[in-house]
Parts: sequence; structure tokens; C-alpha cells
Amino acid sequence: MKTESKLMRYLVPSVLILIGAGFIVYGATDGEAAAVIKKAIAICMECIGLG
Amino acid sequence: MKKIILWLFGLDEAALADPATLAGVIASFVMIAAVLVMFAVLLAKKRLRIHRWGNKVWQRTKLLIQSGFFILTNSFMVGWFKGTIYQGKLKFMCVPGMNCYSCPGAWGACPIGAMQAIFDEFDAKKSWFDPVSGTYVQAPLYWIAFYVIGILMIIGALCGRLVCGLLCPFGWVQDLIYKIPVKKLKLPREPRLIEKTKNPRATRFLLGLDKYARLLKYAFLIVMAVFLPLMVKANPWFCKYICPSGMLLGGIPLMSMNAGLAAAAGKLTLQKILILAFIVILSLFIYRPFCRYICPLGAIYSFFNKFSLYKYGIDDSKCNRCKGCSACANSCPMGVDPVKDPNSPECIRCGTCNAKCPQKAIHAGFRTKTPEGSAIRTRKSK
Repeated sequence: MKTESKLMRYLVPSVLILIGAGFIVYGATDGEAAAVIKKAIAICMECIGLG
Repeated sequence: MKKIILWLFGLDEAALADPATLAGVIASFVMIAAVLVMFAVLLAKKRLRIHRWGNKVWQRTKLLIQSGFFILTNSFMVGWFKGTIYQGKLKFMCVPGMNCYSCPGAWGACPIGAMQAIFDEFDAKKSWFDPVSGTYVQAPLYWIAFYVIGILMIIGALCGRLVCGLLCPFGWVQDLIYKIPVKKLKLPREPRLIEKTKNPRATRFLLGLDKYARLLKYAFLIVMAVFLPLMVKANPWFCKYICPSGMLLGGIPLMSMNAGLAAAAGKLTLQKILILAFIVILSLFIYRPFCRYICPLGAIYSFFNKFSLYKYGIDDSKCNRCKGCSACANSCPMGVDPVKDPNSPECIRCGTCNAKCPQKAIHAGFRTKTPEGSAIRTRKSK
């Protein structure tokens, strides 16, 4: 039976979470979060089908 | 306290003088509190232990979780009362599911919309001449949306497509539509059951069609949500031309409450309403057609199913597959065989197989062993 070792079971997602956290910090400091909020606080006419 | 509330709701003090706004603020707090109490009761009753309660109770619990999460993320009641959207500071955060940021109640941003918004930013200093269109093309400012990818990586690494199964508002809507009692198009997966159908050849053809049509969601992700927003500016392509969630959660409520917006409706509105209607009709007969064939967010999370902390696994010492039992595979609404591949990219972790297994051989969670000490297999069977 193929079973995952404990190390692999928890190591891979933990590394992914750490990389993800790094990406968020890098993106936020690079102005990406500002781009998101700029778009999100106005009614997105394209999204609601008004072009 | 008042300052915190105003900051949280993105309002100024004068706005609270309006009775509708004040009622919206109070209603938001009441709804969030009610949902938190409901979740606390579910936890206290251990209703999340799927095995213990059986499928009927689990389906009800699942619906409560989905409804609760929808209310939590869409409880900006000022927006619902006044036909506006939330404009406060929390909107920089992405919600895990397909939840349009133009929904009147949305507290957060849709990850797919946010990704396209980042790709839509252009570098004012760079441009190149496109001989095909004969115009200057502006270079993207961001070639990779690190911020959104980071958020999706964390959510995906924690729970994979559990988001689709339990937290996505559009998934919840499709679940509700599928509950309408009409004859469902559910195809058997086992060869002996396929042979028993009226037309085995047609069944096999539909199974093949379904298998390949599922790849479409990756095409939608690459072309409509990444390539076109990066290379052809000024449009969130997926949101504009495809997304039925935006029309349902954002377009219809806003246009019904705001005469100015309704007056602006045109060809694109009709196109999006037709797509929404098509998905709704399809959802009557097929379980979650949007999640199966179209959703780019589901496509992203599907990569994480095999690497997430929360996983499905099989206790092979209990499983009765060798004795001909296929209760899990036959009950899976997404057409996955959990024994063959417990963490298939197509599995939305809705818990149905887990609740239906007569042997209690399917485990969902963070463990590598069952409470009795048997090993849990999370990989494909040989």
C-alpha cells in the first residue's frame, strides 16, 4: 500500500504556505494590493454585464 | 468603538444619519453574530464528524456551512439596502470562493477578478508597436500576480478544493438548484453498470465527453483569466465575457436596486444573462456544471488537492472495494472514485463519499493514521 511519510504529508503544504506568505508580502509591498482595492471598491461594470 | 465601526464599514459619521445605512450596519452585526453562533453550535455538536451522523445530516450540515459562509462574506447589509457596494479597507483581501466584488454585500474581493485587476495595470514607461493592430501596446506592470497567487497558495495548501465544496457561493447556488427534483443526468462509472444502461455506447460517449470537457476550465484559466488580461488591456476578460457569478451576485441585485445601472443594460448584459440562464438550467440536471467545466478558480485549487494539509484518505484495512462495494464511487456527485484516487483534482471534498461509506473507511482531515492506528492512504491505488 502506498502511504505518505509524515514528513512529506506535512512538509510540502507547509513550504507552500511559507512561499504563499512570501508572495503576499512581496506583492502587497509592490503595489498589487493597492491595485486590487482600487478595482474592488468601485462597481465593476464589466463584471455586472454593463461593459 | 464608533471610529472602528466606521472604519470597518468604510463610512463617515454623516452617513450614519441615514436610517437605511444605520439599519444596514446593525443588520450586518446581527447576521454575522447569528452565523458565528450557528458555527459554534455545529462545532459543539460535533456535526463536522461526517461519519458519525450519516449522509442525511451531513447534507444538511453542509448546506448550513455553505449558507453561513455566504452570509459571513456577503453581509455588508448597507449595500443590500441601498444598492451600493462596500468601499472600506477590508476589500484588499480576497475571499476564497467565486464571489464577485461588485456584489452589494461583499466584504472582500474575488480572487479571479483581483488577479485580472493586477494584470490590467500597465507600465506607463513601456510600450511597443503592434503591427497587427497598428497601435502602441502598453506593457503589463505586473507579469505575475504575486499577491493573489500567494493568497490562493495558502488557501490551496491548507484545504485544496474544500473551498469549492463548502465555501464557494456560486457552488452553493448550484447545489441549491440541483436539489430541485427533476430527473438527473448521472452517469454510472463502473463497467458492469455502464453495460446495464439502455445505451452503453452513448453512456461511454458521454463519459468521455465529460472527461475531456473538464479540461476546459484550465483553458478558461490560461486564456481568459491570465493571457488575455495580460496581453490585451482594459478588460477583465473572464469577468466581462463569461462569469455568471458576477451577473447573479452583482449584476442582478445592483440593476434591480439602481435605475441608473439598469438603464445602461445592453448586449453584454443579455449575453451574460444568457450564460447565467444556461448554467442554471444545466445545474438542474448536472451536478455543478460551472465547477466541472468552467471555473478557473476551481482549476487553480485542483492543483493543490494532492498537496494540501487537509486531505481525503482511505483506510484500506476497512475498505470493501475488493468485495464489490462501490458506495463511494456511485454516490460521488462529481464522478470521482475516491478509492482509486482519494485526492483527485476533480474532488471538491463535499463529504458525500465519506458520509455514504458503510465501512467508515474514508477519512477527511489532517491525520496520517486513523484513531485506531491504521494507516490512511492518500495516494492513488495501484
